[in-house]
Amino acid sequence: MSAPLLEARGLTVRFGGLTALNALDLTLASGEILGLIGPNGSGKTTFFNAVTGLYRPASGAIQLDGRDITGLRPQRIYDAGVTRTFQRSRLCLPLTVFDNLMVGNHRNLDHGIVTNLFARRRLKRQFDENVERAREQLARFSTALAARLFEPVAALPMIDRRRVEVCRALVSRPRILLLDEPSAGMTHEETRALMDDLLATRDSLRGLAVILIEHEMGVIERVTDRCVVLNYGEKICEGTYQTVSTDSGVRAAYLGED
Amino acid sequence: MPARSATLDRLIALGALIAFAVFAGLFLELEEQWEIASLAVIGVAAFYVAGRSGLAARIESVTAAHPRLSPLAVMVAVLLVALALYESHFALLMLATVMLYVVACLGLTVQFGYAGIVNFAGAAVFGVGGYTTAVLAAHTGTPHLLILLFGGVMAAVIGSILILPILRTRGHYAALVTIAFALLFRTFLEVNDTLGGPQGLKVPGLEILGWSFNERIELDEDREISFFLSYVVVALLLAGFAWLLVKRLERSWLGLSLDAVRLDETAASVFGIDVARWKIFAFTLGNFLAGLAGGVYAMMIGYIAPTSFTFADSLILVSIVLLGGSGNPLGVIPAALLVVVLPEKLQVIQEYRFLLFAVLVILILRYRPDGLLPRRPRRYFPGDGG
Amino acid sequence: MDIGILSQFVLNGLVLGVVYAMVAVGFTLFFGVLDVIKFSHGDVLMAGAFVALATFAGLQLAGIESPLLTMLLITLAAVASMGLLGALLARFLILPLKSAPPLNTLLATLMFGLALREAVRLFYPAGSNPKPFPRLLPTDAYSIGNFTLRLDSVIIVITGLAAIVALHLVISRTRLGLAIRAVAQDAETARVMGIDFRWVVLLTFAIGSALAALAGVANGLYYNEINFSMGLLLGVIGFSAAVVGGLGSILGAIIGGFLFAALQTIGAVWFAVPAYKDVFAFAVVIMVMAWKPTGLLAERSAERV
Repeated sequence: MSAPLLEARGLTVRFGGLTALNALDLTLASGEILGLIGPNGSGKTTFFNAVTGLYRPASGAIQLDGRDITGLRPQRIYDAGVTRTFQRSRLCLPLTVFDNLMVGNHRNLDHGIVTNLFARRRLKRQFDENVERAREQLARFSTALAARLFEPVAALPMIDRRRVEVCRALVSRPRILLLDEPSAGMTHEETRALMDDLLATRDSLRGLAVILIEHEMGVIERVTDRCVVLNYGEKICEGTYQTVSTDSGVRAAYLGED
Repeated sequence: MPARSATLDRLIALGALIAFAVFAGLFLELEEQWEIASLAVIGVAAFYVAGRSGLAARIESVTAAHPRLSPLAVMVAVLLVALALYESHFALLMLATVMLYVVACLGLTVQFGYAGIVNFAGAAVFGVGGYTTAVLAAHTGTPHLLILLFGGVMAAVIGSILILPILRTRGHYAALVTIAFALLFRTFLEVNDTLGGPQGLKVPGLEILGWSFNERIELDEDREISFFLSYVVVALLLAGFAWLLVKRLERSWLGLSLDAVRLDETAASVFGIDVARWKIFAFTLGNFLAGLAGGVYAMMIGYIAPTSFTFADSLILVSIVLLGGSGNPLGVIPAALLVVVLPEKLQVIQEYRFLLFAVLVILILRYRPDGLLPRRPRRYFPGDGG
Repeated sequence: MDIGILSQFVLNGLVLGVVYAMVAVGFTLFFGVLDVIKFSHGDVLMAGAFVALATFAGLQLAGIESPLLTMLLITLAAVASMGLLGALLARFLILPLKSAPPLNTLLATLMFGLALREAVRLFYPAGSNPKPFPRLLPTDAYSIGNFTLRLDSVIIVITGLAAIVALHLVISRTRLGLAIRAVAQDAETARVMGIDFRWVVLLTFAIGSALAALAGVANGLYYNEINFSMGLLLGVIGFSAAVVGGLGSILGAIIGGFLFAALQTIGAVWFAVPAYKDVFAFAVVIMVMAWKPTGLLAERSAERV
């Protein structure tokens, strides 16, 4: 059995007196889609924030491909190939679709002063290449959206904004994608379309592993290979959707039964 | 876009440029108070109409379509205005001052409009450039162009003392630090006799390759070209350079990173953008430009004193950026013209200028926070997308 | 160093500290309730002092002689007028800008401060000159060696502390204070619970501004001189003090105020040139901020990711 792509061991995150994550163990294999579910406040987004370096764990470790990334700055973790979307949409609204995508492509952009300010022809070549790249990425989700590449994101409907967010996270060809409630604010059909397109994209990004936080169980059932259930910052169950959805402890956590 | 419409747009833009040049020339030259007041009202109304009718947007798209030709055209226009007013010391001094303010405010635009850092010590930074120039020019034999450059560098260096607390996220910390600096700058100057104390210092005039800018240029017995004309040319070149720099910065991956830093630091960091590095870059570059402008200003005026760089002056610079539409360099030009020249020409409001501008900014923030010219979505190269 | 001189410095520092604390508490209140930095706070202090001065002139004309009565009336005038100004400012400038980027409010209040300064400079008779402020406090002083205990210093320190303690009691013991704290914690929930958000904001701004006016009168009575730009530096100092103590914490503001006064006093002793005391104090504050950006006591946070 090959080593996991991402592994969290004993991960603990505290805010003052509150323990948001308690000694969490979690693994993610290359190419796997892992569902991360649990009631509100169970620590799912906290986990994402810890992995992407926004929170410093109180204890425990996170390893990416055997390399320790615990406590690294968010920028380094992005460089290592981990990207994410946010629960509440964090796009730069006044900027164009292209600009937002390029924010996600920071790693592949040339930030040299000479190129950007003086060697404009070289910059133009890079620009054209990236326009192609962006169009291609967007077209996988919506050709109509790809045609609106240079419109400000503020002018787009919710579904397109979600698409832009997902594409922003994909354009740098990451190894791990952390999706935080992509269905929020969208209809079932829109969510289905988004997830279908995402699965199709995954095929072109070999080995892309996804961790998906979701409340819509239909999505989890359809899309994930495996699930981890959190409650009050602790893992209470792990397995396929069938396994966890029938687990009594999981039902109690969601429904509050005894 | 059909070719005919593009040509029409170009003609409109050219027409607007000529109209603006004539307006500026008259504004600088006229003496009668009622003439100036009516001209100011016409100017503001014209701007308002241009904005509402979409004319401003068309003109802007033309300037975006010709990134090298547009600033050149504007510079030629300014030069023509200057030549037309060749005799008037006052008008040329005003013209040069406006352009130097534009340079400083372009620096502030990079800091605030692009990176989101508020700098309430703009005048102090301007002053650092001026004082550096004054001291170096009076006491060393360094070539003046080098001195001016060094003035910019000193401004950037001294500004970077403030950078550490500014790097902490919240905007009001940056504000506090720059405000404190602005207040203490004047105190510092006044108690330091090596820097002239409250009286200030005399600054030698600019001298390049042996030609002294402060010498008079006689055309014939009766006519004389104001020596300020040479300074207008220098200020113009500096403004052109600053404009090109700032515009290219915006239309590049660098500008994009700055925008991301300004709009959402958390998202920016999660996508690999080193927020601290970009803030330092923007802040330093902005201060450098302001320092350069300050050096030229000091040489032009011939002396430098702490009273020129008060906190209120820093607030004026911020007002210009805000009025123009923070983030839109094009807006800085009419804003600077209005803010610098109007109080000088309209004697009646001279005394009240700080009060008036304070009220103006409050009204803008309350009712039209976008300023004169709102910022347009980024166009990296002419003709892309859009 | 001579114990007398040392004590002198300490007493001066206490007076400064209590004034700074009063200003800082205002800043922290505004920030707590509305996440707003009202940069015109120092100038409100100045305006309060000028209102007091104008009232004094009026009272003189009316023939009122008693120093105690005069002092009470001018203080009342200053406090009431600035309280009203604070409420008006909140109503017409701060609240409408609530949904705009916070930088806009910062700029707006900064400009308002400038407008206040200029208005006083231009419209108050001979406004650009420093004006003598009446000596209404008892001038008795007791000397022990090098140490002179001025009675007015003691009165000011006690009054200032009393005002701050009174404010603390209002915040922690009264229903109004409860409402203020609720709004500071979570405005949305407070609204839902039936608290009138706007009134709370208006009252908070009124209280904070009234406190600043009190500080302005105290300042005037102590130094016997006021000028139109006195609020600028005081405002920045008050803000720094609030920041160092931790924005949102009243205790932090008080500590910050006295800390800044202490730093200034130390700076005044250390440096030959008196102007450097401010540079020193600010430099230390900036270093503290770089080390602990949320203040010595934690700042009310935070950003949801």
